[in-house]
Amino acid sequence: MVPKDLSYTREHEWIRVAEGIGTVGITDHAQAALGDITFVELPPVGQELAQGAEACAVESAKAAASIYAPAGGKVVAVNEALEDDPGVVNSDCYGEGWIYKIELDNPAEVDALMDPAAYEEFLAQEEH
Amino acid sequence: MVEFGGWVLPVQYEGVLSEHRHCRAAAVVFDTSHMGQFVFRGPDAASQLGRVCTQDAENLAVGRCRYGFLLNEDAGVIDDTILMRLGSEELLLVVNAGTAEGDYAWICGHLAGDTGVENRTAAGWGKVDLQGPAAADVLGPLVDTDLGALGFFGVAATDCCGRRCILSRTGYTGELGYEIMAPGEQMPAILEGLLAHEAVRPAGLGARDSLRLEMCYPLYGHELSVEHNPIEAGLGTFAKPTRDFIGAARLRAVAETGPPRVLVAFQAGSRRRANPGNVVLAEGRGVGCVTSGAFSPSLEVSIGMAYVEPAFAEPGRELIVDTGRTHLPVTVGEKPLYTEGTCRTRDL
Repeated sequence: MVPKDLSYTREHEWIRVAEGIGTVGITDHAQAALGDITFVELPPVGQELAQGAEACAVESAKAAASIYAPAGGKVVAVNEALEDDPGVVNSDCYGEGWIYKIELDNPAEVDALMDPAAYEEFLAQEEH
Repeated sequence: MVEFGGWVLPVQYEGVLSEHRHCRAAAVVFDTSHMGQFVFRGPDAASQLGRVCTQDAENLAVGRCRYGFLLNEDAGVIDDTILMRLGSEELLLVVNAGTAEGDYAWICGHLAGDTGVENRTAAGWGKVDLQGPAAADVLGPLVDTDLGALGFFGVAATDCCGRRCILSRTGYTGELGYEIMAPGEQMPAILEGLLAHEAVRPAGLGARDSLRLEMCYPLYGHELSVEHNPIEAGLGTFAKPTRDFIGAARLRAVAETGPPRVLVAFQAGSRRRANPGNVVLAEGRGVGCVTSGAFSPSLEVSIGMAYVEPAFAEPGRELIVDTGRTHLPVTVGEKPLYTEGTCRTRDL
């Protein structure tokens, strides 16, 4: 499941940009690989992140993974609902399971990410 | 799938959390064929084993099981085991997978006389664990024995799904449950017979770990190793040095001085996991080390176990776990952390 309106990273994050704000989450492939997500560490609001910097982390019943910034900027919102119900990342990773919002320093950084077709191809290659 | 003790095992089928919750609510089945099974036979088998194992084999009644250890001379734990008295001259020892080969050599090297040893793991025997409050309802119609007569830690030879097997009322989850052992060629029929029941789902290593951790049962390689003795693990009752067995002298000395560290269970105030190897802090210094950590599906917080200095071990004591990313506040809890388990209490 790869929505057509998002951009993707090689670390399996997605970002949706609207009016200079990027909403970030993990992809369906990532949530399936992690299994039941038991904890989401949210980044501090106000934190400045460079593109590719570690923003936060998720823990699942069988693994843990870092979440990186798909593009640089300042964290302006986090999904506090995940503190009590991190399983939403499993059940709705592209919707209610978003993790944080970032005010982009340079929206052009998003253009360098994978589009849906490129990410699907990337997933196909990873399976080999 | 992951490597575990030289075997490849599934971490999960449907998902760790749902498998865990299903075990607490209904019943799950684990394929535990990786575990070692050794049978000892002969008139001296019990007295001989009683010198190698902490279990008092000679005073173990036929049809009963007892938890205990193989210790080295320093009382370091070579393995934790369940000893089952199948007959007056026949005993079965169930051991961990990763340690089975070493256990076998250790035991054979310390048996005197003409005790016969059968390595059932090498011979392809398998084992499945049916665990959960519905376990007896599932198993009852499939076996030719009265489960009501098989008490907690009882064992009997019986038929299950028409296959000859050994059935013990034991497990690693805290729930009512059974372990079923039979030659490998019999296991598919038994496993399929159990899974055919609508209450039963398969469960993997992930749920097995979170279930045992809620009960504060030790996992060899985490809470137990040759670096630890049963007293500091809080399991001295399963290694009473009132008899002479390998390691007993050292245990008597440890009991006299008290251990320098003890195993505690803890509960965090959040879902964030502590991990094995994390340092435990108190009063601004390291006072211990985490051995296991997991999210507890029953308590809905992160839980774990750690070895700490005895001064920091009392229930209610607040400690800090340095996870590497953050300082996680935890509170020492009473064992077991999960108290609703049905292993002893479920009426049959």
